[in-house]
Amino acid sequence: MEDFLYFFSFQDSSILFIVMGITLLGIGSAYVGTFSFLDNKALLGDAISHAVLPGICLGFILAGEKNPFFIVGGAIFSGALATFLSSWLKENTKLSEDSIIAVILSVFFGFGIVLLTMIQKTGNPEMAGLNQFIFGNAIGILEEDLWVYGSLSLLIILTLSLLLKEFSLLVFNAEYGKAIGFPMKGIRVVFNILMILSVVIGIQAIGVVLMAALLITPGAAARFWTDRLGTLLILAALFAIISGIVGTYISFIIPQMPTGPWVVVSLSTLALISFLFAPKKGVLFRFISRQSYLKKTHKEHVLKSLYKAMEEQKSGLQIQELLSMYPVHKTETLKSIKTLNKTNQLTVKEGFIELNESGKKEAKRIVRLHRLWELYLNEYMNIAPDHVHDSAEKLEHLITPELEELLDNRLNYPKLDPHQENIPRDHDDH
Amino acid sequence: MIQQVENPILEIHDLTVSYDQSPVLWNVDLSLPEGKLIGILGPNGAGKSTLIKAIMGLVQASGGYVKIFNKDLEQVRNRISYVPQRESVDWNFPASVLDVVLMGTYGKLGLFKRPGKKEKELAHNCLEKVGMNAFASRQISELSGGQQQRVFIARALAQEADLYLMDEPFAGVDMATETAIFQLLQEMSKEGKTIVVVHHDIHSAMSYFEWIIMLNLHLVASGPKQEVVSEELLRKTYGGKLNLLTKVTDLIRKKEFNPLKN
Repeated sequence: MEDFLYFFSFQDSSILFIVMGITLLGIGSAYVGTFSFLDNKALLGDAISHAVLPGICLGFILAGEKNPFFIVGGAIFSGALATFLSSWLKENTKLSEDSIIAVILSVFFGFGIVLLTMIQKTGNPEMAGLNQFIFGNAIGILEEDLWVYGSLSLLIILTLSLLLKEFSLLVFNAEYGKAIGFPMKGIRVVFNILMILSVVIGIQAIGVVLMAALLITPGAAARFWTDRLGTLLILAALFAIISGIVGTYISFIIPQMPTGPWVVVSLSTLALISFLFAPKKGVLFRFISRQSYLKKTHKEHVLKSLYKAMEEQKSGLQIQELLSMYPVHKTETLKSIKTLNKTNQLTVKEGFIELNESGKKEAKRIVRLHRLWELYLNEYMNIAPDHVHDSAEKLEHLITPELEELLDNRLNYPKLDPHQENIPRDHDDH
Repeated sequence: MIQQVENPILEIHDLTVSYDQSPVLWNVDLSLPEGKLIGILGPNGAGKSTLIKAIMGLVQASGGYVKIFNKDLEQVRNRISYVPQRESVDWNFPASVLDVVLMGTYGKLGLFKRPGKKEKELAHNCLEKVGMNAFASRQISELSGGQQQRVFIARALAQEADLYLMDEPFAGVDMATETAIFQLLQEMSKEGKTIVVVHHDIHSAMSYFEWIIMLNLHLVASGPKQEVVSEELLRKTYGGKLNLLTKVTDLIRKKEFNPLKN
């Protein structure tokens, strides 16, 4: 608790500084990552982030110390080389995109590990921190390094805001952009540079192995919540900032704990929450709407059966009779009877069920839809009368009043269905 | 039957296009009159879409040139509007109908500038013309095929161009949309706009277009409907691919390089 207060009260100016840095980094990488996610190029970010490792090592070897300019320069160089190689291979070979990305990722990363091991063998005392570039350590970042990463992040955010409409065009319909005379190739190059930079800003705080997660996951998680690009970018940035700060905090309270894995853990938690609970697209929401639809179908089946009994000149049905019609759904049927009783659509007296006025009207509607659909299938789709029932069993719960009107119109307000049964109307007698 | 015209709005000279070095268009040479509704007809894989993509500079020609308003494409790009095939984009992209139509104003806006009030007004007007203004704030993934097509046409209208090139605007749309689009195109052509439409259905083409281009890897015909539509030309267009031409294409594809490239 003490640590928590110490960290989040920001009384330590270096912590405040790091949190500001992480915030900028989060916004930058989430922005760029969201676009590459929308462009279905999520894997490219992973390839680039692994591919910057040899550049980092080369920068270190050239400078002989952890100089941020050399390291960032090296990372940008090898990231650019990887991006260029992957698009060159795509244009000049018949290899598929995923094999190209797999090759680039493993070759560059493998080479990077070789260099890293070589540097460690030299026994250079400066090399201690170099391991951080694999999994990241936000707390260990020096202030001078932070300036470099922070201003790069700012550069990314500004460029992206300035070119928002161009990048949307690139992702949605690049061909059209070319047709109206926009330099789409140049815009693609700028986007690729931003992509490389957004990996580079995270190498020290998050690490090269997990940086791809910070690029892609925020956008993917935010996509569950919204269909608007503006909201999507803001939400993605928010997710990235939250997980960045969580990762930093854990690195702060547990010494030697890398930041990257914790950023990924908290990001994945946010993604999981989005996947489960987001309205409309979330699993829970879809489950609930399916359940309520099923409930509706059970209720409608009860009403329909009672109406059919009335057609056979019975005034109603015994509960047992009704249950035996739906032997698989006994509990659901009982529940439906209860709810329908509560809403006053039917009356239960000593185990005998009768429809009330409102229930009868609703029951008529369902039977009418069922029979209208059967007639439509028979007349317009040439399906034999003994093959139309199953489809109508499903469609009777779905057809909207507008569709019903359209069906009635097409079929010229028919009186009988293909089985010569009456299509009931509200103005009928019974 | 290839009829050339005086002062053409569009002149295509000996245009040859190849994809991955197999030629898909051979020496197309034609000129088109201004203010007409023009249909490009031909079987699947005849190179119809490729022809308008080559006109827009979206695919590179391996030979020949195109002149529009008697100028090079780059000088007159803002006077031409292009409607790509509906299936060529991902409709799950998070954008509203208005956002997509606003893209039509980007050409005049140029880089960096955001569309403002004037552009939004124009976009709403164009949506009104295709009967979609009520859907302006609708997410594009919720649209039906016909509605998507109307949005694409509204976007093209927002370019306020003189020449329109449309790739299969009638493909996979409902009857109501087809009629509405056709009426709109007719009105535009009355206002003096030239509209070139890639179309797949011969029957409706007969009633829709004044000028018809028939393609089957090469140019079969180009001219006024009455003069072009004959059984012989239709057979040449739709009667299967030319056997010899396909063999040459195969021969070229098997080379390790593109022999047609200059």
